[in-house]
Parts: sequence; structure tokens; C-alpha cells
Amino acid sequence: MLRLFKEIYAFRDLLWILVGRNLKIRYKRSALGFLWTFLNPVFMIIIYSIFLRILKTYDPSNPVYLQMIVVGIVVWQFLAMCVGDSLHAVVGNASLVKKTTFPRIILPLSTVLANLVNFLLTLPIVGLFLVIVRADCGNLLLLPLFILTQFALCLGVSLILSGMNLFFRDTEHLMNAVMLAWFFLTPIIYGFYMIPVSFQRLALLNPMCGIVTGYRAALIGTDLMAPRLVAVSLAMSWLILMLGVSLFQRWQVDFGDKL
Amino acid sequence: MTDSAPIIEVCDVSKLFRLQQQRGESTIKALVVDALRGHGKTRDFWALRDVSLAVQRGETVGIIGANGAGKSTLLSLISQTTQPTSGTIATRGKVSSLLELGAGFHPDLTGRENVFLYGAIMGLNRRQMEEKFDQIVAFAELAEWIDEPVKHYSSGMYVRLAFSVAVEVDPDILIIDEVLAVGDASFQRKCIARIDAFKKAGKTLLVVSHDLNTIHTISDQLILMDKGKIIAAGDPDAVVAEYQWLSRESASTAETKEWGTGEMKIKAAHFLDAEGNHAEELLRGQPLHIEIDYEAASRIEAPVFGFAIHTTSGILVYGNNTQIEEYDIPSVEGQGKVTLDFGAVELLAGAYLFSFSVHSQDHQTNYHRLDNAHPITVRSDRRYEGVCHMDVKWGLGS
Repeated sequence: MLRLFKEIYAFRDLLWILVGRNLKIRYKRSALGFLWTFLNPVFMIIIYSIFLRILKTYDPSNPVYLQMIVVGIVVWQFLAMCVGDSLHAVVGNASLVKKTTFPRIILPLSTVLANLVNFLLTLPIVGLFLVIVRADCGNLLLLPLFILTQFALCLGVSLILSGMNLFFRDTEHLMNAVMLAWFFLTPIIYGFYMIPVSFQRLALLNPMCGIVTGYRAALIGTDLMAPRLVAVSLAMSWLILMLGVSLFQRWQVDFGDKL
Repeated sequence: MTDSAPIIEVCDVSKLFRLQQQRGESTIKALVVDALRGHGKTRDFWALRDVSLAVQRGETVGIIGANGAGKSTLLSLISQTTQPTSGTIATRGKVSSLLELGAGFHPDLTGRENVFLYGAIMGLNRRQMEEKFDQIVAFAELAEWIDEPVKHYSSGMYVRLAFSVAVEVDPDILIIDEVLAVGDASFQRKCIARIDAFKKAGKTLLVVSHDLNTIHTISDQLILMDKGKIIAAGDPDAVVAEYQWLSRESASTAETKEWGTGEMKIKAAHFLDAEGNHAEELLRGQPLHIEIDYEAASRIEAPVFGFAIHTTSGILVYGNNTQIEEYDIPSVEGQGKVTLDFGAVELLAGAYLFSFSVHSQDHQTNYHRLDNAHPITVRSDRRYEGVCHMDVKWGLGS
């Protein structure tokens, strides 16, 4: 593990160039370019606030329902973007992998870091929205813990998917269904408190469940409900990261042949 | 680690490729069955078999061989972009490689961005790359294009930039796979000059090329590969000769064609040197005597005998016949012999194929043709370029 850190550190210049490239290529040829990083969450918040009102699907007893959903969606976007990019992190860089030598882990790491930058840039928009709707402020000091944990989860998942998609190209298509199911299994468009009590334990095996609940507690001061179960959920993220690193390192020796 | 330790050491390396067989039909059932088995039918292919090789610091080693001999596989293993199935590979120092036409460039990034990307892969920081940047662009002659995405580059521009950046990142070992063939002649000369400077700086070079002339000139040692094995290594002259012998043999089995009406047949052609010995191999400028045995079942009026010489890549070098030479043969019948004398064979080093024919005077009837039937290897005492020698004299104007 220490050796891996050293390797990545030795190639930090490459890592930054790739992160920059990933950010740049996303908005290449679009007139507004980087502004989309801010515009997307703005549009999303506007659309949700209109439709939730029209459809009356939200819990009328909960005054912070819209805020909950906005936080949930923004947090989910970070993971969803990482998953989407990770599928091509190795496959889409065939010429680099086939022709040059460097720690392959840099490829998925750079896509996750680029998405982290994007995510961090959307947070001020969310903050602005929360100030406008006069939301209660939660324990902001906890925010770095959840960001770091989600980063670990995103990296772990990206490592697994970027390697898997090389050996099993169906991964790409399978992930559409998996991500949709995962979306509804995670309290994003609903609150954790709405999950039947008998299922709450099970739900917290889903790392995203603890992460979303945590972000909400930090940003809008909702109740953490079961702090100990949330801790289990967060631990799952770090386990997935370890699994991802060990699988990826085992697979990467064959990348050159499979591309 | 001592100074005498090889800078590249390849020990008993083998590489297995598992090739996916083409499916006859792609039914859902077949897909499911394959998925359950883990994969479809596969065929094993050993791209390399027990290859060992040591390269000393400062040496330039060329690798030659037919397509599919395993040259590129060996280079990608030494570059460590792929792993051997068995055996070990050790390299000491920074390796920069140009595999399959180009460094790992990203098509959407500009030339400038790709130069810095490659520099970072080679472990150079931004400041070091900035120092080298102007030189890289100047060498590649791409000043006007450097801020365009490389996907808009022509293949020549792409290779120029790739070569330039791969050399300028100051590697200890430079690996080049068939890159020189792409650039135009003037850039090729520049590359060779740059390679010479690289060699003089005591760096190590590993080159794969089909251009025998170039690779022969720049290499201290040549390696000949065939079907995944090293079959000859060492002195460039000897290895090139071995390669030409090998390609001569495969060419003679591959392209030979025989056709005609058969009223008359060329039974055999004997190649003899000045001493009257059987000659399969000769030195440039030596005489050659060929005897062509024919047999005509019935009387044939005014037949025309001809011959042609092709290179193994199919280029016609020379052709001639009795009609052009105004050597009239009134008629032939039964068995006989036609002789053909070369005062001096002015072909340059390489493998050539002789074809013989006999046809009617108006070219309407081909009695018999033997295409590419007779291979011959020519050695040369001097390193001329091209396929044939011409008598020239250099002088200083007064």
C-alpha cells in the first residue's frame, strides 16, 4: 500500500495533467464551458422545486423535503459521474496503456479527482440555495468526513468498474440497470426516516445510505437517526476502496494484452 | 549493479496470446453458453517462445524478421506495457518507447498538451519540459500546429512529434518500432542524424524496422526473429544475409506460378558462376551464366525466350528477351538448351526472383512461363542504396 502511494506520488505531475484533461474535455466545444459546472445544479434545483410542488409527491409534514432532495441528488451525481467516467478510464486510454508505462491506477484516480473538483464546485451553489430557503445549518465540521468517505467509495467503485469493463464489456450496459436500482435503494428522493424500521439495518449496508444521511446532517441539520449504523455504512465505503485497489492491482498487469 | 551488467536483460521469455475464435453464429444461446464457460472458443498462440537477449549500455540493437515474427511483442514486453507469460525482463534506466507508430498521444489534446503529458509519463516535471519544449517543436517542424488537437495531424506530423518528444525526454534506452518508415525522406535523414547523436551520447537503442539498409547502418548488433524465436544474432552483415536467405526461401515457395499452352516447356534453368559452379548466391558485379533447358513436343517456329528479375516485394527490376535483343531463333524441336550470359550482375544486396518465358513472336501464344521460380541472393561489398548498381564517377569541377 505504501509502495502504491510512493508510485502515485512519483507520477503526481501526470496525475494533475490527466485531472486537468478530464475537466477540460468534458466542456470542450461548449460555448459556456466551465460555467456548466454551476448551471447544472441550478437548473436541477429549479426543476425539482417546480415539479415536487406540482406533483405533490413530497411528505407535506416535512418542511425540509426539497432541501433533502437537493442535497441527495447533488451527492448522488458525484457517484453517478464517477461511475460513468470510470467505465472508460482504462478502455478509453488504450493508446496510453499500450504504449507507455506508468502506474495504471492513475487513470481511474484522475477521473475521480476530476469529478471531486466538479462536486466541490457545485457545493457553493447548494449552499447558496440553502441560504436562500433559510435552511437550518447542520454540523458543517462533519462535512470533510463525508466528502472524504464518498471519495473513497467513488474511487473504490471506479477501480473495480474500470478494470472490469476491460475484461467484460457488458459491464457498461449492466451498470445502467445497477445504477437505477442503487438510486432507488438509497434515500435520495426520500428520507432515511421513511424506510421501515425493520429494513433500516439492511439499508445501512449500502454505503451511499450513510453518506447521504451524513451530508444531510451536516448541511441541513437533519437527524443522523442511528449514528452507529451510519458508521457501519461509512466503513463499507473504505472496505470497497480496499477491495477496489487490490482487484485493480491484480488486473492491471493484463491491461496491455486486453486492449 | 556493476557497469558491465546488461542494461536490458531478457531471460527465457515466452508470451502466450489467447485468441478468441470467430463465432459461426451469434445466437443468444451461443452467447449464454459462452458466458457460462467464461469465454468463447479460444486458440493459443505463442508470440514468443524462450527468448533470451542481453543488451549492453551504449549498444544499438536492431531486430529484423518477417511480419508476425514477434518483434513488436518483444518490444512491448521490454517497454513493460505488457507482461510476459513466463520468464523475466529487467531494464536499468529510463525507457522511452515509440511503439506501433506513436507515443501514447490523446487525440483530443493539442500537440502542446500531449508533449507535457508524455513528459510527465517519463517522469519529467513541468519546468524540465518547458526547457525542452521549443527544441521538441523545432525538431518536429510543427510550430504552426502545436496548439491544434493531434487528431487533425497527418500521420507524418504525428510521427514527427512522437519521435521528437521520445528522443528529447532524455531516456537511457530508446525503443523504436518501425517509426522511421512513415516520415518523408528529409525527416528520415534528420531522425537518423538524431539517432547517431543519441548513440554518441552513449545511450542504448533498440530498433525494429523492415528497412534493411537503415537498420544495417545504425545497428551494432542485429537480431533475426522468426515465428517467435531468435534464430540469429550478432554481426549485422551475417544476420542480414541470413534474413535474405530466409525470405528468399519463403518467397520462392509463396509466389511461384507456372502456366502456358505447354506445346513447348522450359524444363530447368541452371545458374552457374564464372568457374562453372552452381550459383544460388553471388557477389555484385560478378558474371552469371544461365542455361535454360527446353523441350518442344513438335516443331515450333520462331520462339521468343525471355526473362525477368523481380525483388521479393514484387518490383520488376529488369526484363529482356531474344526479340528485343534481335537474336532470332528460326525454329526448335525436341530437347535443347538456350544460354543467357550476364557480363556482370549489377544488382545490389538482396534477394531476387528470376522468371523465364517462351512465347510466340507476336506474343499471342504463351508456350510456357515460370514466374518467380528461381530465387537468387546477391551480396554486395559496398553499401549502395537501391536495387541496382550504375557506373558513376565523382569528381571536383575545375
